[in-house]
Amino acid sequence: MSAGPEDATPAAGAPGPGTRPGPAPSPADPSQVAPAPAPGGRGLPSPFAAVVGYTLRSCLPARRRLILVAICLGGVALGLLTPLIDAESGVSTAEAFGVVAEQGLFGLILPLTCLVVGDAVMGADIRAGTFPLTWLSPVPLRTIAVGRWLGGWLVALLTVVPALTVAVLVAGVPDAGAAAATMALAAATGSAAYIGLFIMIGVVVRRSAVWSLALVFLGERLLGASLSGIAQLSPLWEAQQVYAGLGPGGAELVRDGTPQGWGAVARLALILVVTLAVAGRRLRRLTPTGGDE
Amino acid sequence: MPDATVEVRSASVWFGHKVALTELSCSFGPGVTGLLGPNGAGKTTLMRAMTGLLRPNEGTVRVLGADPHTDRSVQAAISLVPEDEAVPAALTARQLVRYTAALHRVSDRSLPDRCLATVGLLDVADRRVGGFSKGMRQRAKVAAALVTGPRVLVLDEPLNGADPVQRVALIELFQALGRQGRTVIVSSHVLHEVERLAGRQIVIIRGRLAAAGDHRAIRDALADRPRSVLVRTPEARRLAAGLMGHDVVRGVTVDGHTVVVSSARAGELAAVLPRAARAVGARLHEVRPLDDSLESVFRELLR
Repeated sequence: MSAGPEDATPAAGAPGPGTRPGPAPSPADPSQVAPAPAPGGRGLPSPFAAVVGYTLRSCLPARRRLILVAICLGGVALGLLTPLIDAESGVSTAEAFGVVAEQGLFGLILPLTCLVVGDAVMGADIRAGTFPLTWLSPVPLRTIAVGRWLGGWLVALLTVVPALTVAVLVAGVPDAGAAAATMALAAATGSAAYIGLFIMIGVVVRRSAVWSLALVFLGERLLGASLSGIAQLSPLWEAQQVYAGLGPGGAELVRDGTPQGWGAVARLALILVVTLAVAGRRLRRLTPTGGDE
Repeated sequence: MPDATVEVRSASVWFGHKVALTELSCSFGPGVTGLLGPNGAGKTTLMRAMTGLLRPNEGTVRVLGADPHTDRSVQAAISLVPEDEAVPAALTARQLVRYTAALHRVSDRSLPDRCLATVGLLDVADRRVGGFSKGMRQRAKVAAALVTGPRVLVLDEPLNGADPVQRVALIELFQALGRQGRTVIVSSHVLHEVERLAGRQIVIIRGRLAAAGDHRAIRDALADRPRSVLVRTPEARRLAAGLMGHDVVRGVTVDGHTVVVSSARAGELAAVLPRAARAVGARLHEVRPLDDSLESVFRELLR
């Protein structure tokens, strides 16, 4: 029990679950165990990449992943409803898709998917008491906020964006290729803003999932439907207006009083920048607690 | 303390109506310092304040001259091993340590594995920490703290869940880090554990500083406190009569084969009791202190 860390390497053969994990720790050769960190690491990822990697690995446990998959499959199923509505009510495919997109794809699938991801990457980590692991480091808080956002957005790009794109394709709308591409743009920009928004909520309030749900269903859907001032600040409405302005047959989704097309993209970018700035600033005053507190 | 790396000045912390720290002042320097106190004394709150996780409502905390809550740069020099169970369960031990290393821009790629080896977790490094026992989790957190090369290492009950062999090895590890000139602050509610570990101890009770100094000073403070000792002997009445004459004995009660002796000088009672038993021919089947829990020790210290 007097050697340095190299000599403390346990014998080969990992024990199975429930067995004792090899030999006990050995005292450190101080110069070996805890050298001062040197700047500009080459072997390990940069702090920003580490935060993104941690977000992808740790913030989406199996249960949340299952919920995500279920919501995304729901999105595809809504796309399949379009031909049925079309056949039942006798409206055009574009009109039927307009209903499905407004009420289902933009009104339900996009915000719910982003809520699951956005809450997981910040609010849930803070509630679980694991955020101090990241907070207790010299990494700038802005870097942490942006890294968490990027990790969450990457997940959205792999889940909700393909799901909504497939929903357009299976809906059988005219000019499906262009419609799918526009939907991908709307979903990508909308999810970017949404995840920024939910990260901000995760930093500002304790019960972030509840507040986020209230914001989507009471703020955006209920108030935003009648007040264009709210709709102009809403990722839900602005994402829809990206499709309305750029997609074939998008006229069915136009909402008066809100920017459309690239104007809506710019608005979503603004929402993203503001929410991440607020999140980074609020992190300075955060007092991360342990999970049991 | 002239070479203090951590200075707490008149720090008060409260959560709503609950006061956790009350005008607490203390300082920590290089070497191992034990932070003692019963459960709920405010040890964890103090450690969270020292690492910047919370800011005192009143007073100041300085680590290497900087406020750890607002000055992010000083976080490069601090590591915390929290007591709570919260760990990123989906990460493996290796991923956990590598993540911490990356956040601190550690350049040595092999250091995470060396730290895992140091705490005896290298052979389970690819297992998820969510499946670890409490002791293994604590050691994984210790490895993650070591990898940053901290000048100030704050460990909240790091020996919880460790078996006796691991306990000894971890104590040796912390002592080695202390000898290296690092400030190692270890909290515990187990007196003898801290005695072995730390030359200097700070005792906190109900959010206040109760005692500070080396373990002898703390022990001396404890030695003269009133104490009750239970003695089980078939010759209970004879032993009680034999003890009555001693001036260290404050009172004796007899109940069947049990004698309860109270004394204001516990150290002397330990010598008097066997002599008295021999003198009256009493066979001692059991001798145990009735109020030797740390809670009672701390209560006495606070009087």
